[in-house]
Amino acid sequence: MTSVASRVSVALGVPPDRVRELHPGELVVEASPAVLLPLADRVVSELGGRLVTLFASDDREWTGQFRVHHVWSLPALGTFVRISAPVDQGQPSFPSIAAKYPAANWFEREVMDMFGLVLENHPNPARVALHDDWPDGAWALRKDFPAEGAVPRIVGEFHPFRPVTGEGVFQVPVGPVHAGIIEPGHFRFGVAGEPVLYLQLRLFYVHKGIEKRFEQVPWGHGLFLAESISGDTAVGHALAYAHAIERLAGVEAPPRARALRVMLVELERLYNHTADIGALATDVAFVVAASRAQALREGLVRLYDRLFGTRLLRGTIALGGVRRELSPDGHEVLRNHMRVFEKEFDGLIKLLIDAGTFTDRVDGTGILTTQAARDLGIVGIAARASGVDGDFRRDHPHDAYAGLRFEVPIEDGGDVRARLMVRAREVEQSLLILHQVLDTMPESRLVVPLPEQLPPFSSALGWVEAWRGPCTHWVATDARGDLTRVKVTDPSFLNWPALVHAVPGNIIPDFPVINKSFNLSYSGNDR
Amino acid sequence: MLNIITKSLKTGVLTETNPFGTQAGFGFPVVDFSRCTACHECAPVCPTGAIRTSASGSEKTLSVSYASCIQCRACVEECPEQAIGVSHDVEVAAYSRDQLARTASFAVDPASGRATFARVEDQPGPSIAESAERLRGRIRGQLGRSLHVRMVDAGSCNGCEMEIAATTNPFYDLERYGIHFVASPRHADLLLVTGPVTRNMEIALRRTYEAAPDPRMVVAVGACGCSGGIFGEGTYASIGGVDRVVPVDVYIPGCPPRPQAILNGLLVAMGIREARVGR
Repeated sequence: MTSVASRVSVALGVPPDRVRELHPGELVVEASPAVLLPLADRVVSELGGRLVTLFASDDREWTGQFRVHHVWSLPALGTFVRISAPVDQGQPSFPSIAAKYPAANWFEREVMDMFGLVLENHPNPARVALHDDWPDGAWALRKDFPAEGAVPRIVGEFHPFRPVTGEGVFQVPVGPVHAGIIEPGHFRFGVAGEPVLYLQLRLFYVHKGIEKRFEQVPWGHGLFLAESISGDTAVGHALAYAHAIERLAGVEAPPRARALRVMLVELERLYNHTADIGALATDVAFVVAASRAQALREGLVRLYDRLFGTRLLRGTIALGGVRRELSPDGHEVLRNHMRVFEKEFDGLIKLLIDAGTFTDRVDGTGILTTQAARDLGIVGIAARASGVDGDFRRDHPHDAYAGLRFEVPIEDGGDVRARLMVRAREVEQSLLILHQVLDTMPESRLVVPLPEQLPPFSSALGWVEAWRGPCTHWVATDARGDLTRVKVTDPSFLNWPALVHAVPGNIIPDFPVINKSFNLSYSGNDR
Repeated sequence: MLNIITKSLKTGVLTETNPFGTQAGFGFPVVDFSRCTACHECAPVCPTGAIRTSASGSEKTLSVSYASCIQCRACVEECPEQAIGVSHDVEVAAYSRDQLARTASFAVDPASGRATFARVEDQPGPSIAESAERLRGRIRGQLGRSLHVRMVDAGSCNGCEMEIAATTNPFYDLERYGIHFVASPRHADLLLVTGPVTRNMEIALRRTYEAAPDPRMVVAVGACGCSGGIFGEGTYASIGGVDRVVPVDVYIPGCPPRPQAILNGLLVAMGIREARVGR
């Protein structure tokens, strides 16, 4: 037993034989459902745990039970712990932790929607993933639910929006088809004149059944499915999936591949942060800055096309390594581009924050307080802009991050300005990281071969701190070594509730810029 | 203010006079049927079923459809004969799904089992030239030199949206072609739809289509919009290609298609350019 495992065993008050180190940096604790809440209390109070993901699996075929899994990050120990409890199929219910840990709220309701497990003591056990026209009893992630074939629609409104009452108070419905070139979702604003009283979300319009599909396709093809979870995070999700499969198979990507993976993750961060900063300018009608940011972003994706033959970095990650090499010539091209980019990018940020017309719109707009961010379990840039420190690249280093020097920028404002500045400072750090990677690029092959078959009855967690925040994939195999469950968590799923807290008190015309400052993925959330 | 003007003057015009004709490192896979032995090893590595095969006693076929190709290059790497090359042309569009596919048949020698290329089959349905004529007939006198576009994401991963948005950046500047993105389907001549159409977006897509005034055109974007792509068709959550829900006039394949491919597809829908699948 490792020292970390024994520390966790002591802190949680569970017998040492109940804590196993599955893979490096990943513990599993067997528990009974009754102690899920007390264990969560201990994870948070004793070990400073943060909820990473929460999900169920349908193991009835070989154990006759479902299982519920809570995955926590323990940054101080540099490890993840998964607390796993069986749920009896005769009495399929499990205790909720959402009343105390709101980060679990949507996760638990999704378990209810997709597995038909009943929540005990959940403050709001309403559907979150299923739309009103889904029939009861159609639990898509149960193994006996057919992947193919249409689900019949039923008529009626079963979870109506909260009404607003009072003189001059009304509702504004927006979406799912939005006015811009963005993804679909429905927002319902309760407003008194222009100020927003509250915001309700209805998402899952682009639910594509991705987790179910992972169970249907060969695991080698799952990589391409992972690239399409959220098109702006192709590297993040493909890499998280590759990590999970590699850990399951007990292989590690070679040194050069690990360095190139860091490069790809940072290149993805660069183009998205640049595009987002441009979009903020667009949403406050600062056209000059928007155009400059768009030009910088286009310059980046053209560079990626030149270096790797792909604009949005698709097809770069392989299971066991990377699929694209950076040529010696490419080193120089990348360095030169970064030199020019850095200067232009600084100019862009200066242009924005020196313009009173811009800062008037973003300062103090859409504040997510530190307390709210902490309580809701917000992650990634949204958390770091609200004073909540956390970054898997530093806390749970993957690929070559452990050997690199970089800072994790934190801003305290929690407003649109803070989220802009976190991005701007992260771009600086990304450039530093890229220079270090180029300076120390090791020579090795690019891919290690994976076994023909994955080990049976195994599981592993893969994670990546992608540009928006942590992407995690948990994979598990059945008796044949085929994937029986893949749980995908995009940072957006944890962060959408932040919007509900950041918008009220602001005026509707500021909603687009607040929404953009979070820039959450609908597809990544809905899957 | 002075800084902004100086910087703008220094930057000059970024817009490319002709955004077309640029070569891409990787377009779509192109099978050299004369080298292909119909070993069919490429089909199982294709994650979207873009490569389909059949075998009966004396004949084998191989069919490649760009409608569902996600340009992953797995087939190119897998082919033992190096018979699959790549096209560098990305301005691919068609008027039907069938026009995006090519099917070849091979004669099998019963003694050795060796397959030799026999012919490229005609695709079912109208040819590209016939479809182009039909489309021009439909829009003649109805659409002029401007086009108002309502973009509808009916289930996309957001990859296509990013490249559609890129068509408005200073490099491509699609507004110079009279193309303008509008906020409401009521103002639109054309719906630019990405997919796969999910169960949860089907009704919204239908209503958006019905809200657009006649003659309304529909352009399907991306592998998923053209065919359901990696997400498949007829699953519990994904209905599949846009044409499963509303009639489609032009298909722009790719994962995602590049900005100039999207621009090309829109000009095809306007009748200004003619669709082509390969050179």
